[in-house]
Amino acid sequence: MTSLRWLTEPSSLCSPNFLPFKPMYKTLPRPTTKPYPKSSPIRSVLQYNRKPELAGGTPRVVVITSGKGGVGKTTTTANVGLSLARLGFSVVAIDADVGLRNLDLLLGLENRVNYTVVEVLNGDCRLDQALVRDKRWSNFELLCISKPRSKLPLGFGGKALVWLVDALKDRQEGCPDFILIDCPAGIDAGFITAITPANEAVLVTTPDITALRDADRVTGLLECDGIRDIKMIVNRVRTDLIRGEDMMSVLDVQEMLGLALLGVIPEDSEVIRSTNRGFPLVLNKPPTLAGLAFEQAAWRLVEQDSMKAVMVEEEPKKRGFFSFFGG
Amino acid sequence: MASVWPLQLHPISIPHQVSTNALDLKPQLGFKERYRIWNRKNKYRDFFVRASGDALPSGEVNPIKDEAILEKTENNGMVVLRHQVSRLQETIISLPPIVFLVRYKRSGSVADLVRRGQLNSDRRGISKTPLYDDPFDNPLVKISKNNLSVEMCGKVYRLAPVTLTREEQNIHQKRRSRAYQWKRPTIFLKEGDPIPSDVDPDTVRWIPANHPFATTASDITEDLAQNNVRQKHGVPFRIQAEHEALQKKLEALQSDQKFNNLGVDPGTARNFERPFKSNLKLDDQQAEQNSVNGQTGSQPESQTNSHTSSSNSTSEEKRTQ
Repeated sequence: MTSLRWLTEPSSLCSPNFLPFKPMYKTLPRPTTKPYPKSSPIRSVLQYNRKPELAGGTPRVVVITSGKGGVGKTTTTANVGLSLARLGFSVVAIDADVGLRNLDLLLGLENRVNYTVVEVLNGDCRLDQALVRDKRWSNFELLCISKPRSKLPLGFGGKALVWLVDALKDRQEGCPDFILIDCPAGIDAGFITAITPANEAVLVTTPDITALRDADRVTGLLECDGIRDIKMIVNRVRTDLIRGEDMMSVLDVQEMLGLALLGVIPEDSEVIRSTNRGFPLVLNKPPTLAGLAFEQAAWRLVEQDSMKAVMVEEEPKKRGFFSFFGG
Repeated sequence: MASVWPLQLHPISIPHQVSTNALDLKPQLGFKERYRIWNRKNKYRDFFVRASGDALPSGEVNPIKDEAILEKTENNGMVVLRHQVSRLQETIISLPPIVFLVRYKRSGSVADLVRRGQLNSDRRGISKTPLYDDPFDNPLVKISKNNLSVEMCGKVYRLAPVTLTREEQNIHQKRRSRAYQWKRPTIFLKEGDPIPSDVDPDTVRWIPANHPFATTASDITEDLAQNNVRQKHGVPFRIQAEHEALQKKLEALQSDQKFNNLGVDPGTARNFERPFKSNLKLDDQQAEQNSVNGQTGSQPESQTNSHTSSSNSTSEEKRTQ
């Protein structure tokens, strides 16, 4: 049982061009208790105590994609987007999931979406009328591509997004710092539409083999399309399962995909709660585990940084001698 | 002499407060001295006893004179007394017996309520909303000194360094470029459409005929859509176009009405009639008719008759129903 057998399709494995790389021959799941070199210092784990500095030119057009559905693209878009807004950057989140949009629900803005990009293209409204401004963080705006029952003309899906980005650049109130595009699942026309204007990509995956194969495929397509800056977020990580070797660790995932890590989001029951309430996790007070992880991912996205150390497993909390007495 | 001194004990567990526990011996009933015992951060390892002689009426002006500090060190447990303390001790011994009324008091300030989660700090004026919340400077994120573990939300996680190198990333990229050869589709065709001659067949995306995209009929051109996206001010294009079309239609209608004013179709008039008015009494209808006739003036007799008869018939119909 080879690890990459799941990643790539059988045809590509049979092709003579395919050169196996190092982890090809490793078994899966790899023992997670592998002794990591403790001598090597862990650098820049949490070196930040300041406002993040925006790297790269604006607008940073980031597509959030995964291939497989249900791994948390929309949740990531909502939480990273609002985190960026809280960090002081102006953000436009585009829900490019044409048929099955959900980002408005996660943000609790579903009642405020009156116009979409389809209406803008038709001339029924202007672009600024279709942008839904979040009242909690006014520098966050949502733009939906279409209403569930309306249909986008097929021919210029990707072009329409490029026009949109251009139009957003020329806005009176200034160019937004970030344009986040929530990509639909699959590699169909919706995916192609969504990745068209993007300069960089965030690949969301879960540490399971189905998501990994799709993620590898999608990464390949993104690279073919010229998007080189691809970072991944590993979502729904359960350290208890990793400890019992029932789940791949984040480092295993990274070894299989070979992508820089933007964030690791632990499994958190607060995610479903916040989804149903329409109140993104990062706005929770007190912050939750997953919310903190999303915030840190947003921080790294701003600085075009990646993780230098990851949480591998939970260990029992060491308590002090006086802890029994409440110290 | 009744000597009841209220002794107030403030057991607060706020870690940032400077003097947390205070034993306040209030000078009442003629006793002029005031003693305070501070206990720092409610840890009972070392504490200070400060006795302030409040000789001056202004209270806190000259408290240093009679100050005594009692320190108990942690290692040997000895109590070091300064010379003022002995004086204080003598004073206390010479006093009549004291009944200590120990009263626990929650401070209950707004900050305390916020800390306990009973108040939302956003709703109060006591805390300004931070411009950004530093996720790494969060009290819930603590990194160990040796960078080997991190404590988040009360759970401790072991950290491992990321081992991916640039070379490994490049190897993966090469692997993918070989495994997934893909060209971005430049044209979307429905099944059955002919491929244009100038299009690379690899870049054609075939859409099944029942796909939602394929069933979309687009009635706007690309140039028009692009202009619509870029429009920043004024009435949206389609709205304006529809408005202008309506305006033209209305104008045409009005000009038609000018020419054919005399020949208004009675059927059209009936369409505009409001059926609930037919429930009114005939007198009212007659009066209404008269007023209408008075307004229009030049309405022919035949039309009025037909109108009245039609309204009568409708009222009769209503009655039969």
